[in-house]
Amino acid sequence: MTPPPVYILGGYQTDFARNWTKEGKHIAAMLREAVKGGLQATGLEPGEVEVGHVGNFAAELYAMQGHLGAFLVDCDPAFAGLPTGRHEAACASGSIALLAASAEIEAGRYGLAMVVGVEQMKTVKPSVGGDYLGTAAWYEREAKGVEFPFPKLFGKLGDEYDRRYGLKDEHLAHISAVNYANAKRNPKAQTRTWYMSEPHACAASSYNAVIGGRIKVTDCSQVTDGAVSLFLASEEVARAYAERRGLTLDAVPRLLGWGHATAPIAFDDKVAESEGKPYVLPHTRRAITDAFGRAGLADVWQVDGIETHDCFTTSEYMAIDHFGLTAPGESWKAIEEGVIDFGGKLPINPSGGLIGAGHPVGATGVRQLLDAYKQVTGTAGDYQVDGARRFATLNIGGSGTTSCAFVAGF
Amino acid sequence: MASEFEKVVVLGANGAMGAGSGEVFAAAGIPTVFLARTLDKAEKGRARAIKLAKAESLASFISVGTYDDDLEREVDGADLVFEAVAEDLALKRVYFERVDKARKPGSIVATVSSGLSIAAMCADRSDDFKRSFLGIHFFNPPNVIVGCELIPHAGTDPAVTERVRALLDGPLGREVVETADTPAFAGNRVGFKVLNEVAQLAVEHGVHYMDQLIGPHTGRAMAPLTTIDFVGWDVHKAIVDNLYANTDDEAHETFALPPYMQSLIDAGHLGAKTPEAGGFFRKGDLVLDPRRGEYRPLSEVATEPPPLVVKMKALHRVGRYREAMAAFAEATGPDAALMRRVVLGYISYGLCRVGEVVKEARDVDRIMGFGFNWAPPSVLVDVVGARVVVELLEAAKLRVPPVVVTAAERNQKLFDEPDVDIGRFFFA
Repeated sequence: MTPPPVYILGGYQTDFARNWTKEGKHIAAMLREAVKGGLQATGLEPGEVEVGHVGNFAAELYAMQGHLGAFLVDCDPAFAGLPTGRHEAACASGSIALLAASAEIEAGRYGLAMVVGVEQMKTVKPSVGGDYLGTAAWYEREAKGVEFPFPKLFGKLGDEYDRRYGLKDEHLAHISAVNYANAKRNPKAQTRTWYMSEPHACAASSYNAVIGGRIKVTDCSQVTDGAVSLFLASEEVARAYAERRGLTLDAVPRLLGWGHATAPIAFDDKVAESEGKPYVLPHTRRAITDAFGRAGLADVWQVDGIETHDCFTTSEYMAIDHFGLTAPGESWKAIEEGVIDFGGKLPINPSGGLIGAGHPVGATGVRQLLDAYKQVTGTAGDYQVDGARRFATLNIGGSGTTSCAFVAGF
Repeated sequence: MASEFEKVVVLGANGAMGAGSGEVFAAAGIPTVFLARTLDKAEKGRARAIKLAKAESLASFISVGTYDDDLEREVDGADLVFEAVAEDLALKRVYFERVDKARKPGSIVATVSSGLSIAAMCADRSDDFKRSFLGIHFFNPPNVIVGCELIPHAGTDPAVTERVRALLDGPLGREVVETADTPAFAGNRVGFKVLNEVAQLAVEHGVHYMDQLIGPHTGRAMAPLTTIDFVGWDVHKAIVDNLYANTDDEAHETFALPPYMQSLIDAGHLGAKTPEAGGFFRKGDLVLDPRRGEYRPLSEVATEPPPLVVKMKALHRVGRYREAMAAFAEATGPDAALMRRVVLGYISYGLCRVGEVVKEARDVDRIMGFGFNWAPPSVLVDVVGARVVVELLEAAKLRVPPVVVTAAERNQKLFDEPDVDIGRFFFA
């Protein structure tokens, strides 16, 4: 049985270049700005919101604060009594919150859900933050006592590609340069004023140090403070919402499909499991194909763009073949042919992605779907992909552990 | 990156503004020549640009040379000559005379001057030079601060202004505000009015108290007197002296450099650049007593922050900016009155420059937000409420900007930058 449709009404992203610790702000301020901004952007009244979901990875560590759902109630007097909760699946936390909210709408429990992804990360120095992020891996086995464990884990992903298919670092450098270049068009991107060039990304140097294995600074996503809200609605609510704006229901984009799969948490176990199979991360591939299947799409060429999880250049390299832009192991072909470039056949991360736009861990999944919404509604401004009607997202928690994919549009 | 500008020559490329501006051109992929008195100085400028970009590969876009050996040859082939020598009209004119003789017709010449008369700089130059000359005022450090003023003088060819605007807000990624060729342009005129007024008030109220009262909670990244120390007292003096001598408006007296500052400048106190002498603050937690010209330990002069400051910070911390600014508007007592005097003075003076220095309120807002990292006047008006601001301005006997009256009458918001989080201007 086909579940009832879920509509996307829009939302709000905070400026990812901000440092909320320097501003002296509590994480409550981030949630508040995302909520207030989302209500203003959509024109929704606070009293219309029926449920609130927060995606967040590790506020207990970074901000000494748990129970984030409760902070939604503090955002507006009309939220008194609002049912809320918080969801965690490492860097996929935002997508898990979206899945929960959309499932509730499909089930008919609520008509309008507010999802907020949030992470405040600049509260601690990088080495401490790196250790916190290590809890997204199997901490005792893979991260304890390791300086910056995640670059090393995603370096191993590159090594595994190299072992199976061959991998050139210049292709990773191109991924980095494209994301930075795209970020310059995004007024909310963290790196929009930073200098980047492909030659700089290509070579290790004093300003582009090796962090772990084949991963250099330019291969990494950013440490980011940010919050993003997104409003999901039932058909009934979306119809009334559209009518209030003089639109018809078919002008409101839908969540066309979703996929969600979990691999073994330890990276070596993932690789062992996929040995001899075409895809290095088969569960990630399944999340994507499930989303496409639910959206009724035959293949990736039926979307107009992708917002993917480039926590490192190797994860975007993986996403290219896992999305099906190329055969397994041939992601380099799409890179060399300019397919993923902003003006390419299938642009990846027009926002700048996690490398360019930034990666406030728990907010990323929500940010990706908000960007997909902007693209399919023609409201992405300077980073608009011309004529986009359908966008896909891929959000990954851990070292390819929890994979969530969405297709949004018409 | 594609640009019609294929070669830029920077004069004074060894200084902070020269190297920083040169970095901006080179980072856009434009071959840029760094000129200075000596090769060593030019090399230091290039090293500084590389450090700003955090990328050795930037060096591939930067070549170096000296005024004596390379100026004429390099300027001859340049599409844009960017002058960033010392802020001295006579000195700048010497360089412009050489540039005038060497440049190819139609090439553009710009100055990074932070407030000297653009027309005066090119008064003795050829007609083609005058048509091709304007101001491009970057803020320091230019690689981080994207706000920038574009200042044509009366004789600048409008087509030149548009070509430069396209370069600035295209490949260079700047937030461009066009201003009239009036003293200190827009940002420094409005900003230094506030800074100098606080320096004046410090005589009566003390340095520590004033920085505490007009601190980041009033919509700025850095407290005013700390800012003057950071900018340098010599630079501060140059800007306010220019404004005092060459403007005559409702804020004229607030541009008078306080006598204690002149005495200390004469004694070598220039702020952070003279750490031993100090400025308002000196290392070792010492604070200036402006009445005596002496430094005292912070522990002796520090007082508890006024309750209004504590309240505003607590509200900003959790994102309740409107409530914080409502407290600012409603509080009674001398702390509140003094805070309102300075902040309302900023709103009034800033938005009253519309029509004189800039075309619209948005221009003042953009340069204060993107150039100074201060809450733009319109953001403060929106957050406090235009009607309340009109009442407060009238009560304070300050000029009420017409745009605020209109906003109050129509119940409209003034600030018009949908991509800017206004919360980023309010610090806890």
